[in-house]
Amino acid sequence: MTARRIDADALLDLATEMLRADVLPALPPEQRYAGAMIANALEVARRALAEEVEAAEWTLLDSLYEEGEGSTAQLARDIRSGTLPEGKARGLADDLRTLLIAELRVRNPRFLASRGISG
Amino acid sequence: MTMASSSRSRTLDPANLDPLQRWLARAVEADRVEITRADLLSGGAVQENWRIDASIHGGSRAGQNALVLRTDAIARLPMSLDRPREFACIKAAHSAGVLVAEPIAECADKTVIGAPFTVQRLLSGTAQGRRITRDPKLGEFGPALAREIGAQLARIHTIRPPHEALAFLTRPEPDAVAAAVAEMRGALDKATEPRPALECVLSWLLAHKPAPRPVSLVHGDFRTGNYLVDGGRLTGILDWEFCHWGDPREDLGWFCARCWRFGNDALAAGGIATRADLLDGYNSVSDAPIAESELAFWEILGAARWAAIALLQGQRFLTGGERSLELALTGLMPAEMEFDALEAITALEAGRPIA
Repeated sequence: MTARRIDADALLDLATEMLRADVLPALPPEQRYAGAMIANALEVARRALAEEVEAAEWTLLDSLYEEGEGSTAQLARDIRSGTLPEGKARGLADDLRTLLIAELRVRNPRFLASRGISG
Repeated sequence: MTMASSSRSRTLDPANLDPLQRWLARAVEADRVEITRADLLSGGAVQENWRIDASIHGGSRAGQNALVLRTDAIARLPMSLDRPREFACIKAAHSAGVLVAEPIAECADKTVIGAPFTVQRLLSGTAQGRRITRDPKLGEFGPALAREIGAQLARIHTIRPPHEALAFLTRPEPDAVAAAVAEMRGALDKATEPRPALECVLSWLLAHKPAPRPVSLVHGDFRTGNYLVDGGRLTGILDWEFCHWGDPREDLGWFCARCWRFGNDALAAGGIATRADLLDGYNSVSDAPIAESELAFWEILGAARWAAIALLQGQRFLTGGERSLELALTGLMPAEMEFDALEAITALEAGRPIA
């Protein structure tokens, strides 16, 4: 039989639900912003456990550099100095957009929804 | 007396108002001043704001006066002006006919309340972006409000260098866009997290910069959230600590940038009306009219600027030793502005209007 454990995802999910449903409404007004920030941070953390932003990063980097050679710091430098090869620079905006979407799935899926991109 | 609770340390002690009363009496040339209320107002991560109700006896301001006392707070952003300099900008704006809380007096003496401070007339209304953009009557008052805001901004932009009272402002850069990009690249260089998308936006800005316009006073944080609205009408422009000499279109772009619409994405002018409404008001006052087609570039620059600021806020948490959840969450935001800026650039390159 497969072992079932209480994992980080389940804990964060339940903790956030309780915070939003039971604790936030009972907070005095001047503490509500802090409470909302805590709930927000827990939700970001929970999504960060599940999503793989790094995979999207490597897909982009491996399309631009020798496999395993690139880094976002290198890419940032090459963009600033304009030294990306012409052929590779052309699709860059689209590739960066894909990378940002992967990031935003963790950081703020509601933002993506407001821009017409489903979670 | 009601006191808003806050974990921040405060300067003014409501239990010891005598020094302030005596100072205020001298400052407004009154026989005597009695303070009947001193409440710490909400907001102001950068500054501390107190509402002061003063009963003034004698002099030209005799009677009940509702005032705002502002101090420099501990956590001033590096880019921002200190209180006396901000106050000089407010005075210049007031003289130029801008709707702003009347500047009344300033005190450099730290012994009066524990920090230098300024006093202005209290204005009515709310500055909360969400409350303004979600007002059920926004459809009725939004366009006229945006026109009024545009007209006020044009008045701010009539203030031009050289200006004796504003001589402390850094000399205007001949190339405002290059200077802004250099500053944002400086922020990127300080950050421990590379942001290729922001680099991409900055390179685009440099390659597409418009011909410069005559330099004027730029408010520097002109957006929904930084003006007061009462009953659908504008009562005043707030938060002058980011004033500088620059391209007037910077303020218009910041106002319309997608990140400052508070959920009303379709209303490009600060989530309250259309760009055309804002520019109608602006061009009715300005002697240098601005076309709607000029705004896109400055909205993209605005998005990039907010991304760079948010990145630096995140660094304060990440490497600056400031254990603030607000800074950490702000540090996650650059991706949003980068996304909007890239979308806008893609639209422009395809010959489509930006969102």
